[in-house]
Amino acid sequence: MHEEWAALLSDRVPDCEAKVVFGKAGDKSIFVASPSLHRVCTLLFSHEDFDFHVLQLITGHDYLASEETKDTPAQRARIEVSYLLTSFRKNHDLILKVELPRENPTLDSVCDLWASANFQERECFDMVGVRFENHPDLRRILCPDDWEGYPLRRDYEVQKSWHGMEVEPEHKMNLPEREFEKRQKEMAAKHGV
Amino acid sequence: MDVKRDRIQTEGQEGVESELLTLNMGPQHPATHGVLRVEIKTDSEVVVQAIPHIGYLHRCFEKHAENLDYRGIIPFVDRMDYLAAMNMELGYVTACEKMMGQEVPIRAEYIRVIVCELGRIASHLLAFGTYAIDLGAFTPFLYAFDMREKILRFFEEISGARLLYNYIWIGGVWNDLTDAQLGLIETFCDEMWEEIDKYNNLVSYNKIFINRTANVGVLSEEAAYQYGATGPILRGSGVEWDLRKKRPYSIYDRFDFSIPVGSGEQGSKGDCWDRHIVRMREMYESIKIVRQCLKGIEAGPVMSKVSKIIRLPQGEIYHKTESPRGEIGYHIVSTGDKKPHRIKVKSPCFTHVSLLPHLAPGLLVADFVAVIGSIDIVLGEVDR
Repeated sequence: MHEEWAALLSDRVPDCEAKVVFGKAGDKSIFVASPSLHRVCTLLFSHEDFDFHVLQLITGHDYLASEETKDTPAQRARIEVSYLLTSFRKNHDLILKVELPRENPTLDSVCDLWASANFQERECFDMVGVRFENHPDLRRILCPDDWEGYPLRRDYEVQKSWHGMEVEPEHKMNLPEREFEKRQKEMAAKHGV
Repeated sequence: MDVKRDRIQTEGQEGVESELLTLNMGPQHPATHGVLRVEIKTDSEVVVQAIPHIGYLHRCFEKHAENLDYRGIIPFVDRMDYLAAMNMELGYVTACEKMMGQEVPIRAEYIRVIVCELGRIASHLLAFGTYAIDLGAFTPFLYAFDMREKILRFFEEISGARLLYNYIWIGGVWNDLTDAQLGLIETFCDEMWEEIDKYNNLVSYNKIFINRTANVGVLSEEAAYQYGATGPILRGSGVEWDLRKKRPYSIYDRFDFSIPVGSGEQGSKGDCWDRHIVRMREMYESIKIVRQCLKGIEAGPVMSKVSKIIRLPQGEIYHKTESPRGEIGYHIVSTGDKKPHRIKVKSPCFTHVSLLPHLAPGLLVADFVAVIGSIDIVLGEVDR
């Protein structure tokens, strides 16, 4: 089904470069080029074969560049944004994905198509730092408005203080737990578990 | 004599100047069910605009999950929706199992369905009780908590905890149920069925209750789609959509039950009363499912063999299940490591909070409280 959808998308939006991606298990997803996102979404929303009238979720995934290891393949630095679309009338789902650079990621907002995108895009901006153009009210949603940094970036480090308050005071940290983690790591390195 | 909802006229009268009043409801407010702050702009008693501010309970579960192994995440999942922790666990665990291709013993599946449906009843009871409090009736709350306490006692007996269970594990459930415990559920089901009849007589078909909730906060079908509403909110708007029926997970395809939908019996379709009655009727359906489980349950193991270190294969999955508040979805991205690369939770309450600015304009402040109650928000899940 995903292959047919990708073919239809490439046919209607020529510059979208739709391709189906599938890992070793789980769900298939369709990648499109980020500049064509809004046009692709309009088609998905209105075309009767797709009929994706509900947007359930927008997520950002941050990837740092890394070498290949025994268990994991090599990665390049990027941010992926996933759109989870559903049709209650046709009973099917789609994971639509776009890839963005880690520096200054921007995307077109889809608030004009689905009202639920408003909160979801605000959360994606708050947590991963993707800016959405033409969003009516792009503010942080879960963190305070003047918080620094984006918590769900892989290289995020929490700020030292906020409005004169220490953010992670040493005496309040759970030290036994940290010690336990450290010991666990040492044991793992020693015995190769 | 529906005087109260006539807009209080100040415009056009000479010598009278009106300006909007900003009022903060919450974060500590009994009607907001936790730490939700709604900034409302009112024109005398009428709400003109409502802006929800959330994040007071934000613990960034998703960041924690990046540093934990797959088993270690289950207790964190409990703490999101602490009123229906069993249902949250089931969603996460089935997502992992689907990705791993893990088999689950049939007895464990039956036990999972039993505890999840009991969890749904407990959650709906709390929603019903607190909703009555919101509208000024205290007694139903006591009835509801009396019955909910029985479910929590039972959960304590089987898992050791009243609210946060860590009971459903990857590959099965932690502990088996004894025949005596199954018998306990059976007597509870009979008792509960009569109790719901009582609640309906006491509250649902009460004239005052109907006056307070019918025709208030009407959510049309189209708006429900637009805002991504799910669960009782969507069904209250007349859409027959329940994942247990439409995309059966676990063993829900074995059971015979119906999907209650709102039809505008007392007012118009999609009002607060419809959302309330959908929850009440769902409790009957849950009891039906539990009874069928008790009939069909087979002897056998409750835990299958799972490797010591769980690694999900490289890929991603979006798996959703029906929690009492709506569709709870887990988007798990794995790079093949023993820790997940990223877990994102689709929280139904988060989307439902975004309904408030849509429903609020034109309501009285007291009716706005009725709308918040009918949406049944758990802030632990909104903020995660």
